[in-house]
Amino acid sequence: MGLGKFLIKRTIQGVIVIWGVVTITFFLRFLTPGDPVSALTPPDAGPEVRERMAENLGLNDPIHIQYADYITDLLMLDLGTSMRTGRSASIMILARLPATLELALAATIISMIIAIPLGVISARRRHQKSDYAATMFSLLGISTPNFWLGIMLIILVAVVVGPIPTGGRDVSFWEATVMLFLEANPRGFGNWAIHIFLPAITLGTYFTALLTRLTRSGMLEELGKTYVEATRAKGLPETLVLYKHVLRNTLIPIITVLGLQLGTLIGGAVITEEVFSWPGIGSFLIQQIAYRDWVLIQGILIVIGVGFVVINIIVDAMYAKLNPKVVTE
Amino acid sequence: MISKRLKQSLRSELRTSLMAKIGLVLILLILIVAMFAPFLAPHHPTETRVSDDPEVDKTDLPPIGMGYETSETRLVDGEMQTVETTIEPDHSFILGTNTLGQDILSRLMYGARVSVLVGVLGALLATAIGVPYGLTAGYFGDRIDDSLMRGADMMLAFPSLVLAIALVGVFRDTDFHTQQIPDPFVLAARHDTLGSFVPRGEHVAAMPASITFPVTVTLVVALVNWVWFARVARGEAMAIRQEEYVKAAKSVGASNATIIRQHVLPNSLTPVIVLATIQVAAIILLESALSYLGFSETTLTWGYDIQQGQSAAATYWWIAFMPGMAIVIAVISINLLGDWLRDALDPSIEGEGGV
Repeated sequence: MGLGKFLIKRTIQGVIVIWGVVTITFFLRFLTPGDPVSALTPPDAGPEVRERMAENLGLNDPIHIQYADYITDLLMLDLGTSMRTGRSASIMILARLPATLELALAATIISMIIAIPLGVISARRRHQKSDYAATMFSLLGISTPNFWLGIMLIILVAVVVGPIPTGGRDVSFWEATVMLFLEANPRGFGNWAIHIFLPAITLGTYFTALLTRLTRSGMLEELGKTYVEATRAKGLPETLVLYKHVLRNTLIPIITVLGLQLGTLIGGAVITEEVFSWPGIGSFLIQQIAYRDWVLIQGILIVIGVGFVVINIIVDAMYAKLNPKVVTE
Repeated sequence: MISKRLKQSLRSELRTSLMAKIGLVLILLILIVAMFAPFLAPHHPTETRVSDDPEVDKTDLPPIGMGYETSETRLVDGEMQTVETTIEPDHSFILGTNTLGQDILSRLMYGARVSVLVGVLGALLATAIGVPYGLTAGYFGDRIDDSLMRGADMMLAFPSLVLAIALVGVFRDTDFHTQQIPDPFVLAARHDTLGSFVPRGEHVAAMPASITFPVTVTLVVALVNWVWFARVARGEAMAIRQEEYVKAAKSVGASNATIIRQHVLPNSLTPVIVLATIQVAAIILLESALSYLGFSETTLTWGYDIQQGQSAAATYWWIAFMPGMAIVIAVISINLLGDWLRDALDPSIEGEGGV
């Protein structure tokens, strides 16, 4: 089986999972009390107004027609109308999406910058003080609830650095970039960075700890292999041996596990956003649960589920590219 | 199921690993605290001490050794004056008090009960759902495996916290169950059935007669985490069905159900036990996140206390700090225990970690 065929198979599997996700969220509506008609009509509306609203929403149709309508709407990227505000759910969710993506990306980048060198050093100096320190750090990192870590960071920064913003988001990355390049104004960028810094550290800690562990154990395994001796015997400098050869082979298992752990990152984003009032889809989800706006809740679940499946396919593709053996399995 | 060889490798791993020892001791400590909270807690966990009378008022007291000075500008004899006051800790509140004047240490001890109950029962329930599911998929393979595991993959398409929040949202309005679990020690002390056999009888009798057990949250964490058990059990069953003894059992006409129960299940338990241990930690983290967000039926939990302390965290840092430390210690010790079991029993296990 070639790489292309592998990807096609993987994509078909992904589509089936997405269909399942969509179906689960469709039935979620029937599990929840509160009906959309009451939510969208004024309380004093007469029965004929309510009837017309139900007709318009397609609630009088048999369930398979409703399901088909639901799927058709989704294919046209229409997630429905918010029960509370009457606005388009797609637009409301889309407006929240960039903030979450920025946060998740920033957290991933920070984690990689810290964790990979830390894991390499830790493996290189096995059973020395720096190794124990790194191991302790990663144990702490995977055992700390990140909402608590966020609150503690806010206190710590307030005491040590002084007042810096600990909640909200003024400008998006996009706006900051536009300001920088079109107006040569770096202040937007500074504002963006200072707001995202603490949430990104908070969200990234678990990932950093995990990545450090993985890098360390992967490096230790690779360092025991004979080709390492061979490259050393060739006279290559140790840094080159470590980072070019050993680390590269370590990356393959790391990427797989990271793909599996992306759910933790997205789940972590939900609660990190809540702590820092970060206007992403995570804090939006919690808000809508409080409002019981099930159309928006369904929409957010679909966006997260679909996003997660798509990211996993991308991870699989990268994995297949790095390690052609999986394709033939 | 636990053979001599396993016991031996557990023991030798425990002897060589300091971390395993620390983990084991900490877990025993947490279990003892959770079980004997009415004896050990210095105060009633929900008794408030808010009053205009400074003698009675015990709000926001710092932990012992953390007294601090504060200055306050107020009207004294018709004049604005800055008054320096020293906030002294009260020696009967070792870890300080919260904004309602409740004793933080006592609340942590009672919170341990909820964490332990939800963690252990949630993991057991997830095992009970996931293991038969995974064994069936792995043992039969092919179509059955494909369709069952595709179903499981759909659960994995949602991050565990997101799924948990959505499920709590669904259950919240229909059947949000709480179960009052009576406290046998307190009842015994109150009815004086054991008489002088209950040490500190009066103190124990004054403690809450029951604790609120969050049924919905326990169900939700199990529904969110069973997939990991299904995956591990499936992998094991797939390997075990190739074994000679399974083929032999088949050839003498044993039914599939019998083979699964008698051969596949016992031989796949080791990784399941390791996973269950790690999952207790993951579930405690998940429970704390849910109660932090206000999605739990009980307010006597570590997560809820963190949420309560958040708004005042800049001044009264200990209110949010202490319950967080309790979570970290509990989760670390379970992770250490899990590492010990894994190193001793089975080194190849995956599973989603924390929040």
